Amino acid sequence: MIDDLFIEMEATQFTKTGQAACGDDVQLLTIDKENRSLAALSDGLGSGVKAHVLANMTTTMALRFMQSNLDLLQSVEIIMDSLPVCEVRKISYSTFSFFDYRLGGRARIIEMGNPAYVHLRGVAEVPPVKDRTVVSEHWPDREVREVEVDVEPGDRIILCSDGVTQSGLGAGLPAYKFGWRRSGMLSFAQEQIANEPDISAADLARRIACFAKNITPEACKDDISCLVIYFRHPRVMRILTGPPYYKEHDAEYARQASLGEDHVVICGGTTANILERELGGRVKIDLKAMRNAGGLPPSGLLPGVGLCTEGILTLSHVCKALEEKQNPVGQPMAARQILERLLTHDRIEFIIGTKVNESHQDPNIPQDLELRRSVFRRMQTALEKNYRKIVTVNYY
Amino acid sequence: MEKVKVEICCGTACYILGASRLVDLEAELPEEIRGKVEIEARPCLNFCEKEQLGGAPYVRFNGTEVMAQATPESVLQRLQELCGEAE
Repeated sequence: MIDDLFIEMEATQFTKTGQAACGDDVQLLTIDKENRSLAALSDGLGSGVKAHVLANMTTTMALRFMQSNLDLLQSVEIIMDSLPVCEVRKISYSTFSFFDYRLGGRARIIEMGNPAYVHLRGVAEVPPVKDRTVVSEHWPDREVREVEVDVEPGDRIILCSDGVTQSGLGAGLPAYKFGWRRSGMLSFAQEQIANEPDISAADLARRIACFAKNITPEACKDDISCLVIYFRHPRVMRILTGPPYYKEHDAEYARQASLGEDHVVICGGTTANILERELGGRVKIDLKAMRNAGGLPPSGLLPGVGLCTEGILTLSHVCKALEEKQNPVGQPMAARQILERLLTHDRIEFIIGTKVNESHQDPNIPQDLELRRSVFRRMQTALEKNYRKIVTVNYY
Repeated sequence: MEKVKVEICCGTACYILGASRLVDLEAELPEEIRGKVEIEARPCLNFCEKEQLGGAPYVRFNGTEVMAQATPESVLQRLQELCGEAE
């Protein structure tokens, strides 16, 4: 069902050793109102800050132009005309790959100078439906390729900078005489997908970029960027928190937790009690894990139902980490477990009970306990803005 | 001999008001009662809603006896008494 398609777009980048900034740039944008996903990956001439400026100008302009549906050739010409001229090389230059997809339609890829895109269905390469090359009058030596592809759930598109395909070039390694090449990257991606057919875009992008980087482990010889776009049925998870306002809604509320243990998080002691009572079972908290909980109350598991954590302290911590895009690794255990689940799912459904917890009104409680609803509003914004997740909220 | 059961409430209020200090309880048990006690963490015992019970953090012994404002010291003392009584 194409209507129920989620587009996961994730990139991994590495900066050339010795440079302060990455000379490639990747920008991603989801326009909910149009059911549209846009991406731009650009490699600026040279490396370091100057290259980064070129690349960043390119991706920023590209997203703006695609959003406003500006003609392809005109967009590319404006970009090339606008880039500052390099004093050393006397040219203005960046290479790029742009991606534009509207739900139900074809995906459009525009590339100039970057390694050719890869479109995989399972492990098989998929040919484009339309493929044309255009040349601008302003820049006759630059060829722009425009491709249209049909996508199906399960497809992946890989875009990368030449730091990936040329990795190993000139390093004196017999296996990489001409670098890793597009064919090497393609085989590697196919191998990863064969071993792990549901591999996420984030994991695949990271593995490709890491492999390219590690061909010359002593130093990163060029900026490396890999962007993977994965068309898939959304992975749904639910966070249940807070008791329902009316006790008679408890049973219906508890039924919302029937998505499978790996897809449900229960936040709050009273909520856990309701689920224990309604669904049977008992939350297991590992006492040894408590000692390593890292400043948050320990987490447990309600077997067959889901992860159980404390409520508002843990959620406030998760909220801050999402807003600041902090790495889950290194977070207190309960927060890390929730963050890892959030990041590996596409659609997050908050099921929120609205009964006020009287004990939190105790003046002896030294911390400002935020209202559950306001924390969820902030989490929703952070998940949508920073991670392009689909978020829904249901109150009980 | 049946073990003395200890449930530590790990709800928000209890945790903030001191249950975090109870997490090492198991490691702190004196040798003589170590094998006689079973400690469990619970998501919430719902005692914090009942003001008359005396205040968080709460610990429950053997499923019935409730201790308010529990500290590692007070829990250990009560455990020693309970283990003594059981003998």
